[in-house]
Amino acid sequence: MNKDLIKYGLNNLWHRKKRSLLTVISIFIGIMAIFALISFGQGLSSYVKSISSEMGTDKIVMQPKGGFGNPTESAFQFNEEDVEFVKKVSGVSEATGMIVTSVQVQQDTAKKSRYVYAQGIPTEQSEQQLINELFATDLGSGRELKKGDTDKVAVGYGYSQPNTVFEKPIGLGDKLYINGKKVEVIGIYEPIGNPIDDMNIYFTSEAMVDFLGAEKEYATIFIRSSASEDPREVAKTVEEKFRKYKDQDEGKETFFVQTFEDLIASFSTILGILNTVLVLISLISVVVAAVNIMNTTYTSVLERTQEIGIMKAIGAQNRHILFVFVFEAGVLGIIGSAVGMFFGYLIAKAGGFFAASAGYSMLQPAFPLWLVLGCLVFGFFMGALSGLAPAYQASKQKPVEALRYE
Amino acid sequence: MKPVIELKDVWKTYTMGENKIHALRGVSLTIQKGEFVAIQGPSGSGKSTAMNMVGCLDVPSKGEIYLDGVNIAKLSESSLAQIRGRKIGFIFQKFNLISTLSAWENVMLPLTFQGMNESERRKRAKERLEAAGLGDRMNHKPNELSGGQQQRVAIARALVTDPEVILADEPTGNLDSKTGATVMQYLQELHQKGKTIIMVTHDDKLAHYADRIAFLKDGIIIKATKADKTKTQVIA
Repeated sequence: MNKDLIKYGLNNLWHRKKRSLLTVISIFIGIMAIFALISFGQGLSSYVKSISSEMGTDKIVMQPKGGFGNPTESAFQFNEEDVEFVKKVSGVSEATGMIVTSVQVQQDTAKKSRYVYAQGIPTEQSEQQLINELFATDLGSGRELKKGDTDKVAVGYGYSQPNTVFEKPIGLGDKLYINGKKVEVIGIYEPIGNPIDDMNIYFTSEAMVDFLGAEKEYATIFIRSSASEDPREVAKTVEEKFRKYKDQDEGKETFFVQTFEDLIASFSTILGILNTVLVLISLISVVVAAVNIMNTTYTSVLERTQEIGIMKAIGAQNRHILFVFVFEAGVLGIIGSAVGMFFGYLIAKAGGFFAASAGYSMLQPAFPLWLVLGCLVFGFFMGALSGLAPAYQASKQKPVEALRYE
Repeated sequence: MKPVIELKDVWKTYTMGENKIHALRGVSLTIQKGEFVAIQGPSGSGKSTAMNMVGCLDVPSKGEIYLDGVNIAKLSESSLAQIRGRKIGFIFQKFNLISTLSAWENVMLPLTFQGMNESERRKRAKERLEAAGLGDRMNHKPNELSGGQQQRVAIARALVTDPEVILADEPTGNLDSKTGATVMQYLQELHQKGKTIIMVTHDDKLAHYADRIAFLKDGIIIKATKADKTKTQVIA
């Protein structure tokens, strides 16, 4: 459309600064919330995607039903025979269990103690590889645990940081007391991204039993399917065979088998639903903003009735008048969106910063280009559509009556 | 001479509740090309309604209005707008400039509605303002101009599309007598250059600037006379 009419519209918004500003404020709040929420949702889902791609698609997990929470308090746990059984199922290339137990850890027997999870890492190369792939953790310094490392441990990233697990950071070769027993730190992991996991202590599976006296029971069995097999089919086979082995009825199993991909997918779906609900809630404020834009435009039409008459007298057609008011409403929408995105960005960044300093480094917002452009386009159309009814009314005014309006 | 405007038995009736008010009751008037015609009458006589009809701002309830031979009583709103833009230039009592636009932008506006390209409309508007002696005030907003200057901007806006007919509604009503006289002289000059001018006024002295005066009372033309130019001396 015409540059002069665009300038006329912008002049009008500027001329009524205070009202324009108030309208922009009413718009930006909703957009700010939506932008921040979606950026977090995006960050989280790309994190989930990245871990699932790091883990590969050949992994399958087997867990007791209802064992999704605390790994040490499941209904039942698998034993060594179960793992051996699963290993023999056709299509399974590798299977291993992980012993998990809660332990007391101290830097010094006289000092304060913390309760953390100790996990048993298998010492066989291929099994250890499977666990490492699944947990997507790399050793930051030191060495991997190997067979015979009875009183040696690897520790989570949190131990290497001051004022995290303990006041004083732990280094390689330092001593720790686990359930009162002295152990040596031989490896420190890279951060996993949440404070609980970063406080883990890793023993060899043998040491978990022999040194800590833990039961040889597993909350989870981790399986790798053979390269030539479809992991979903393998998961089905494992479930079927294990059900028969345990003599359970179909549908009444006390365990479940799922590919890691499906597990991640269902996790992503839950995240997605949660995010959508939050975005829908913030859409309420967008509706309020839309009503506000409509109100502003109605007021503006009323105030400028005579001007509409003048413009019609000097040759403006209905479409010119319609354009001016829709454009003004759209500009309010787009400015509101831009301001909203700016504050949404700050909030998301601040949120990410606080999450990271609380140890949740995986909770980081992402700002893809489509989100920025989408918000601007959404803002413009929301404004323009809200302004449509009053603009249409303005465009339909009879020139004589509009001119006479005082 | 060819008539530019012809009103044939034009009625305008407003319905207010149960009452019908006839603003115009069978007005017939023919205006030739290049004529300067004043429509004079007391307030409420229907002269503004008549002017709105001539200016295509309103359509009659009954009767026919021909502008350049085209019956405008039957045209759509959008066609009327285009005719207004091309053929008619309005000069209002209250100048009716757009307050948020500069003098230059105000004068460009009618050309904008006609879809003329930017450089051309800037050029034309500038020429008009310079001709009106406002070359140094082009970028000023209406509230930064005196009443006389504002009316000159309004006249420049009316002329920028080079219309056949200039419609002036009490053009000096908001001006002091000296400035008013200048505006009237300017209208006369335009008339001498061949423009058709129709002016609505209640002022007897102003009416006599015209070639012909149509007296309107209670919605009908009660008398049409030749103007007496000697009467204009009083204010000139």
